Amino acid sequence: MDGFVVQFVNGLKTTVLLALVSGSLGMALGLLAAAGRLSRWRAVSAGIGFYTTIIRGVPELIIILLIYFGGTVAISAFFGRYVEVNAFLAGVVSLTVVFGAYTAEIFRGAVLSIPAGQIEAARSLGLHPWQTWLLVILPQMLRIALPALANQWISLVKETSLISIVGLTDIMRVAAIGAGSLRAPLTFYLAASALYLALTSLALVIFNLLERRFAVPGR
Amino acid sequence: MDITLLLTSTVTLASGIPLTLLLTFASLLAGFVLAVPLSFMRASSRKWLSLPVLAYTYVFRGTPLLVQLFIIYYGLGQVGAIRSSVLWVLLRDPFWCCLLAFSLNGAAYTTEIFRGGIQAVATGMIEAAQAVGMSPLQIKRRIIFPIAFRSVLPSYANEVISLVKATSLASTVTLLEITGLSRKLVSETFAPYEIFLAAGVLYLGLTFLLTGFFNALEARLNGAPRAKAHTRRVALQQVTHEL
Amino acid sequence: MLREPAADHGIRAERIQKRLGGNDVLRGVDLTVRPGEILSILGSSGSGKSTLLQCLNLLTVPDRGDIWVHGEKLAIRAISQQGGQARILDHRQVRRVRASMGMVFQSFNLWPHKTALENVTEGPVLVKGIRRNAAADLGRHYLAKVGLSDKADAYPRHLSGGQQQRVAIARALAMEPRVLLFDEPTSALDPELVGEVLRVMAALAGEGRTMVIVTHEMAFAREVSTRAAFMHRGLIEEESPPQEFFSSPVSSRLRGFLASHR
Ligand SMILES: Nc1ncnc2c1ncn2[C@@H]1O[C@H](COP(=O)(O)OP(=O)(O)OP(=O)(O)O)[C@@H](O)[C@H]1O
Ligand SMILES: [Mg+2]
Repeated sequence: MDGFVVQFVNGLKTTVLLALVSGSLGMALGLLAAAGRLSRWRAVSAGIGFYTTIIRGVPELIIILLIYFGGTVAISAFFGRYVEVNAFLAGVVSLTVVFGAYTAEIFRGAVLSIPAGQIEAARSLGLHPWQTWLLVILPQMLRIALPALANQWISLVKETSLISIVGLTDIMRVAAIGAGSLRAPLTFYLAASALYLALTSLALVIFNLLERRFAVPGR
Repeated sequence: MDITLLLTSTVTLASGIPLTLLLTFASLLAGFVLAVPLSFMRASSRKWLSLPVLAYTYVFRGTPLLVQLFIIYYGLGQVGAIRSSVLWVLLRDPFWCCLLAFSLNGAAYTTEIFRGGIQAVATGMIEAAQAVGMSPLQIKRRIIFPIAFRSVLPSYANEVISLVKATSLASTVTLLEITGLSRKLVSETFAPYEIFLAAGVLYLGLTFLLTGFFNALEARLNGAPRAKAHTRRVALQQVTHEL
Repeated sequence: MLREPAADHGIRAERIQKRLGGNDVLRGVDLTVRPGEILSILGSSGSGKSTLLQCLNLLTVPDRGDIWVHGEKLAIRAISQQGGQARILDHRQVRRVRASMGMVFQSFNLWPHKTALENVTEGPVLVKGIRRNAAADLGRHYLAKVGLSDKADAYPRHLSGGQQQRVAIARALAMEPRVLLFDEPTSALDPELVGEVLRVMAALAGEGRTMVIVTHEMAFAREVSTRAAFMHRGLIEEESPPQEFFSSPVSSRLRGFLASHR
């Protein structure tokens, strides 16, 4: 087991990095998608609605497999020989696509729950539309979205474990290797659970602090 | 993209639908049966009732389902007492391991959803039931739970959809449901686009059907469908319009 | 105590105390309701009227004091010096007693997932074990009595406040209780809907029922009650037949209260 401590530490780093990269990219994608979904251009709004609906209706595992094996086929065709896609990259792409779809819906719901009166008030104060977005809508939207975002980040941390299925050496994969080589699956998978539980608990704590920091008194 | 292959693999993968549905509905049922009493315990003001349930939901919602499934499928066999017990007949079978993992995992989420609904039931509803002389069990069964269930139906519907998608993990322990079949097919033909897209289409079909069912159920239970946030959208679109 | 208060009938509460959230809400209230009596309880907001009413059917368990209902003493354990909460000792008894006292709430408290008729029949079916068919007949009878025969299948959200409160009265009546408790039944209603509820209550009063009514409707209280009580800061300050109560109040506080509610 001793040799596996180092491996678990490396796996932990990979898991955290994967979650942070795809979470950040995914949130950026989600913000853009939410803005597009709320826009007056019907085609854009409908297209984004299609994207979020499709992604949320299909298992994450299928999306991961499609991007990993699909990517491998595409790149192999490009180079004319068999090239396997980097599992980390495939993980970032697929988790970003998934996270973007879910956060887009969260942001959209949050924007829609801002009272219309506030937007009208901002307009009547003579704020530019972009000022209204930046100063009135965005800050409130983020605060309203915070609890749902917390849940989504926690889901993301857990979903990173699926990338081990396409060979990424994250916490889950280290556990699987250890389970096989030392014939102690329970020990290794329990250790992996403990690490994941620590990560999701940490995410929970951070989001609780954020929520307290940005809470509106009396709400 | 080979459209013919897309269509033929859709047909081939459709034979995985029964297993996907069986896993979904069996875990759904077991999860529901577990979650109802657990959610009342979790909502209780008595710490010794609520804390153990909180520990359970916290651990199951804080760790990946894949780990839970592997602990049950690969891990439990490490315990001699389990290997030699009658339960081993079930626990070495991937189907039952999936069922157990999905039920326990789903029950954890469902418990928290129901708990939220239970705690949101207005005290006046309960006082009115007490005032006619109903027993605590009658009040839970006839008043609190039905009101709570209606109020959390949208969240519960989401949970059911999540469960359908979660059953795809059964493919990691050799079960040939939709995802398992598609992985097998891809390894034979190496045509991942067509086959995984076909699988995605099948899942979309299932989740759409379930969404439709729950929307209808909600409309039925709550009378007229709720009004949409129409006015807010209009105000927002004016802002976007001027951008 | 050897004496058997209100033998057989009515309600008697003695020295009822209740502390809630650091306030002494009830500070040793004595109250008797004799059969056939219609007692109105008045008093300013926060004087403890609702709490007293809820103590009578133990929706709130008093910290100290004794309660007899229809000659039966309610088994409750008083609050202990060590801080142990007051609690019900005999839950079966309490359910039986509650079933014999109908209660009508300020905010109606109809069950939203049940139709008007189901709201009315739920108690008889579950508590009294009456069969569904018989209970439906019973329910229709009482809905007719409050003038809502045509609303049997309507859900509460489709009824006006006045209609909801009449369904709530029918729900209380369907248990065929010996006493009816009303907690400000018209306070949550729009002014134009108050009349329909008061008319139903006046009709019930005319049947010789035993009723305890917490209300701010002075004219109604004066009209229908056989006795009125004035609560102030957790005690009953004055209690008399309506003529005296409203025309020649003794306590200066009651005089002030009546003057301000004219
Ligand atoms: N659960 C509670 N916790 C703390 N304080 C309470 C609680 N319930 C009631 N009180 C307080 O007890 C006092 C009496 O309450 P009660 O509802 O009996 O008054 P009331 O006479 O019915 O008033 P109203 O006319 O407003 O209905 C109030 O000051 C109220 O704030
Ligand atoms: Mg009151």
